[in-house]
Amino acid sequence: MATLSLKEWLQRLESDRRFRENATSVTHIPASEGSYAPYPVWVHKGLKAVLEKRGIRRLYSHQARAVELVRQGRDVVLVTPTASGKTLCYNLPVLQRILEEPETRALYLFPTKALANDQMHEVHGLIGELKADIRTFTYDGDTPDDARQAIRKQGHVVVTNPDMLHTGILPHHTKWQKLFANLRYVVVDELHIYRGVFGSHLTNVFRRLKRVCRFYGADPVFVCCSATVANPREHAQNLLEKEVVLVDESGAPRAEKTFVLFNPPIVNRELGIRQSALTPARKIAGDLIGNHIQTIVFTTSRLNVEVLTRYLKDTFRAKIPGRDHYVAGYRGGYLPNLRRDIEKGLRERSVMGVVSTNALELGIDIGDLEACIMAGYPGTIASTWQQAGRAGRRAGHSLAILIARSNPMDQFIVEHPDYFFSRSPEHCRVNPDNLLILLHHIKSAAFELPFEEGERFGKEDLMELLTYLEDKGVLHRVDQRWHWAAESYPADEVSLRTVNPENVVVVDTTETGNHRVIAEVDWDSAFTTVHDDAIYMVESQQYHVDRLDLERKKAYVKKVDVDYYTDAMTYTNVRVIDGFAVRKRGSVIIEHGEVQVSRKVVGYKKIKFYTSENVGYGDVNLPQKDMHTTSYWFTVPWDLLDFLELRREELIDGLAGLAYCLHHIAAMLVMADIRDLDRCIGDKSGEWFVRYGADRRLITATPGQPMNVMENAFDPTVFVFDAYPGGIGFSDLLYERHDELVSAAQSLISSCPCEHGCPMCVGPALEVGPSAKASALAILGLLEAP
Amino acid sequence: MSLRDRLGRLTGEGTQPGRSDPPGELISELRRRIEEVVNRRPVPGPQAHSGRDRTGIPLERLVTGEEVRTPRGGLFFSRSVLAGSHRHGVFRVGDLGHIDMRSAALLAGSDEIAAFEPGHALFLDTETTGLAGGTGTFPFLIGLGWFEGDSFVTTQLFARDFSEEIPMLCLLDELARDRRFLVTFNGRAFDLNLLSARFVLNRMEDTLSNMPHLDLLHPGRRLLRHRMDNARLTTIEACVLGLTRDDDVPGYEIPRRYFDWLRSRDGSLMEDVFRHNRLDIVSMAALLKHLADLVAGGPGRESAHPGDVLCAARLHEERGDTQTALSMYERIAGSPDSRVAISALRACSLIYKKASRWEDAVLIWEGMISRDPLDLFAAEELAKFCEHRRGEFKRAALIVKTVLEGSRTLSPEERSSLEHRLNRLARKSSAP
Ligand SMILES: [Zn+2]
Repeated sequence: MATLSLKEWLQRLESDRRFRENATSVTHIPASEGSYAPYPVWVHKGLKAVLEKRGIRRLYSHQARAVELVRQGRDVVLVTPTASGKTLCYNLPVLQRILEEPETRALYLFPTKALANDQMHEVHGLIGELKADIRTFTYDGDTPDDARQAIRKQGHVVVTNPDMLHTGILPHHTKWQKLFANLRYVVVDELHIYRGVFGSHLTNVFRRLKRVCRFYGADPVFVCCSATVANPREHAQNLLEKEVVLVDESGAPRAEKTFVLFNPPIVNRELGIRQSALTPARKIAGDLIGNHIQTIVFTTSRLNVEVLTRYLKDTFRAKIPGRDHYVAGYRGGYLPNLRRDIEKGLRERSVMGVVSTNALELGIDIGDLEACIMAGYPGTIASTWQQAGRAGRRAGHSLAILIARSNPMDQFIVEHPDYFFSRSPEHCRVNPDNLLILLHHIKSAAFELPFEEGERFGKEDLMELLTYLEDKGVLHRVDQRWHWAAESYPADEVSLRTVNPENVVVVDTTETGNHRVIAEVDWDSAFTTVHDDAIYMVESQQYHVDRLDLERKKAYVKKVDVDYYTDAMTYTNVRVIDGFAVRKRGSVIIEHGEVQVSRKVVGYKKIKFYTSENVGYGDVNLPQKDMHTTSYWFTVPWDLLDFLELRREELIDGLAGLAYCLHHIAAMLVMADIRDLDRCIGDKSGEWFVRYGADRRLITATPGQPMNVMENAFDPTVFVFDAYPGGIGFSDLLYERHDELVSAAQSLISSCPCEHGCPMCVGPALEVGPSAKASALAILGLLEAP
Repeated sequence: MSLRDRLGRLTGEGTQPGRSDPPGELISELRRRIEEVVNRRPVPGPQAHSGRDRTGIPLERLVTGEEVRTPRGGLFFSRSVLAGSHRHGVFRVGDLGHIDMRSAALLAGSDEIAAFEPGHALFLDTETTGLAGGTGTFPFLIGLGWFEGDSFVTTQLFARDFSEEIPMLCLLDELARDRRFLVTFNGRAFDLNLLSARFVLNRMEDTLSNMPHLDLLHPGRRLLRHRMDNARLTTIEACVLGLTRDDDVPGYEIPRRYFDWLRSRDGSLMEDVFRHNRLDIVSMAALLKHLADLVAGGPGRESAHPGDVLCAARLHEERGDTQTALSMYERIAGSPDSRVAISALRACSLIYKKASRWEDAVLIWEGMISRDPLDLFAAEELAKFCEHRRGEFKRAALIVKTVLEGSRTLSPEERSSLEHRLNRLARKSSAP
């Protein structure tokens, strides 16, 4: 059978009527010329020869500018597309300096091990050809103990990750004296990954790093690389807390690319159910690979990697027998050897299709693939481009297809190509002075070096925080210095990446004497999934929860076989503590500030399988969870809502649907995971909240309050808040971008093809009620009116 | 609003009354969790509080010692001398200094030490604010010991506060310069590591890490572990040195004691810690004496535990001193402990074999077989000897056959190897 070239394949595709119906946008990005500059005169001859031997006869204009700035000792953030040679921007000045001054040390930080390893190989390659005595090591959790001492003393370039810097290097800085005393460069790649909680932690890790460097008399230059986001320079300056020069005009030539946004067909219009994104992904990938077009597919979960790999393997097993690796999965958790084999197979084109989770988990050196399929929006425009960049790095024509899933974020993106292709709207935010985060790092910093009177760390009053910790008994003050005075190792107490490191372990006690751990549930969802008498399901086996022991963080369960499942009923109540800013739009009041969020699981419903009828209730007695955080909110006055002539239930459904939609869009704008934000409807005083009760959605009073004062005194407020104690800095951004949020919600809901609401707009109709969509649109009309 | 109030709100502490706050028990849940994150120290037990309840007793009244001045400030210094006649467990202090330095060098795995004298040794042990390691762990008490003539001197350098760290390190540096090598118990991984960090942190030269070092943990574990549950110093004391400590302060309690001392200055908190540290130092000296005698294998060691001697012999053999190893193996070959005796006999026979002292080797193998005809080791060695050296195929076959038929404990591999040998012997003996 004759195969099609990518160009022919695309022509055929574009004349396919069914494809055209589902492709919301087909964008051709033309090739463009590069812009070049000669090597700076100071570049070492040997180094230049090695680079020239690799085909780099001159630099791209952005490389030339970046290396010159780094040479001058300026801190730089580099924002250029994939495959624009950004690693050279730091490797060149770093190696140059080591050649000139062999004591020079550099620290490279990458967010994942895969990237760190790739970087190692690249630098190793350069050094090997240079024939210079320059040593590069990765230092991470896998580094053997006996190798560590050599790395500490001899490594010119130490490649590691922020977590290791935080727990393994800074608290032992005396062993790294040689590194810190001679540290000239810190390279931070994938800067945009460090946002939200992770970024807030990293800012503090950098505060500690700079503090330790000061102790040894070093003041390193930071070289950062970031994907395209709306505020790269601001973000870099927030993370590093110093002036940073932005280099963002790429001089790299660009190959031709076709970018398709694809929305799977609707299979149930009433409920607004679309085909799973995996189905078209499988079909398109199978067709591409069948035409010998080397293809990578990105999915959003490890499970999906396995499922899709399996499907594709089955497709080709019959056609191309004996080539089990014709299609391969590739994800974290695979052994390094297998990964290397697959990478090699990709380069040699013996592997023609690969399914992966995340561009950052993927080794860089996989050759030039032709097509990239993304089954699900990767969460940010920045990472979408990063994944798309995995096809056609230098080659001729390449293809990228983004297939939407059924959630508001994916839908918004594929239905708004202009939003996607225009200048990046995504902002990176950090809040390094979140008190809890700051306090963790002040403790770690005190462990590393005693604090001195008058020292600064973060923007809060350090002396007051030190006194607080002194009162807590973890610091001891003597002669104007605060010393760490506890047995513990504070860096181990906080993970940079997860919001709440605590988990509840689910223990199966069905067989006496043979208790087994069957699952772990994160602390917050434990309250709703493994409360007493809940039915907990693992791989379709049902378990009854006999007891949730919060003290020991264990849930004891027994196997059962019942015809119902349980659904927890919670209330969330937000009380405004302090408004930071307020403005009005018509009579709608928009604000942001500090709030107290209280959440309590009050009971559960038993719901019968298949029929979904309620077959009983139960009470749950768990502590209320309180959190102080920051929120954005807006209030619609009751008399304005009165115009809409909606019944109260309809109104609440509308508000709930609107909040669902806004929550998703907000996460998209601030590059947050959906779980980093949360939402609630209530009123500002915290006296009222919406109860998703037994069978009706009600406005009710906080328990203990009288029920009869609720008549029309209620001015409903929609809160979207940071789901981290103390807040992470999203709220003021959302406040500023309120109008954008509202118009995006309007556009998303009104263009959704469902009838009464669906997961792609206001939430599943069965959950939010049949009038949610219409009511939400009516309320949006009020919000948009001047 | 003050920072402290904001912290209070985040941690759920100090919520003001009058507001419509959620019930107290609920808030305590959040507080408990955040408290755990903010401050993971265990809840102080009643003992830990005792410092506050009592009126502080000055340290000088409980511990022999006084403030000393260094150019960089003062610290508390305690010195005590144990006379030669003093007993530490089963040892007389006066005997502890009689150490064969070649044996000490063997224990250290460092030839350098053989050139020193026992009086050059600096015994060192620290008490610290934790076991976590890293720059935030503070060695607040440094115990040192050395031989002076017949007596043993211990000195203890105590930082009464963090501010006395530099004077403490200065004095340590000065005292260490009088000695030539270090003796510790687990110092390589712990004490010296920590002290090294402290020198760097205080921008001082680290004299200790350049000194030759005998860490007793590894030889102690190697020679004694076979008859102990663990290789902790207190376990070794009880098993080997014949010393039991009464009312010793448990190690895990020591950091807590120091933190309480910092607040209360109650000397009674520290008194036990000083004693604990001093005992550790003296026990190190006794342990060194015991181990050195053990590997020296000289006269007067007939009372040595045969299992220990076996381990010592193996150590010599590994380091290439076959002669000493052999004499030690020979000494315990008749031990009533049959497992030790058999191991020693095997080891002897292999040394003979290697040296082509066939007669001696065969004598051992034959002896072993006459005691136990199913002894696999002896049978195999003797069969090999008969086959390859003597060409006595029939005798060899008989030995192998006896084991094959009689033994119930052979592994499949052992069995098939014996069968293989037997077949070959059968072929050879039937050949013309
Ligand atoms: Zn919809």
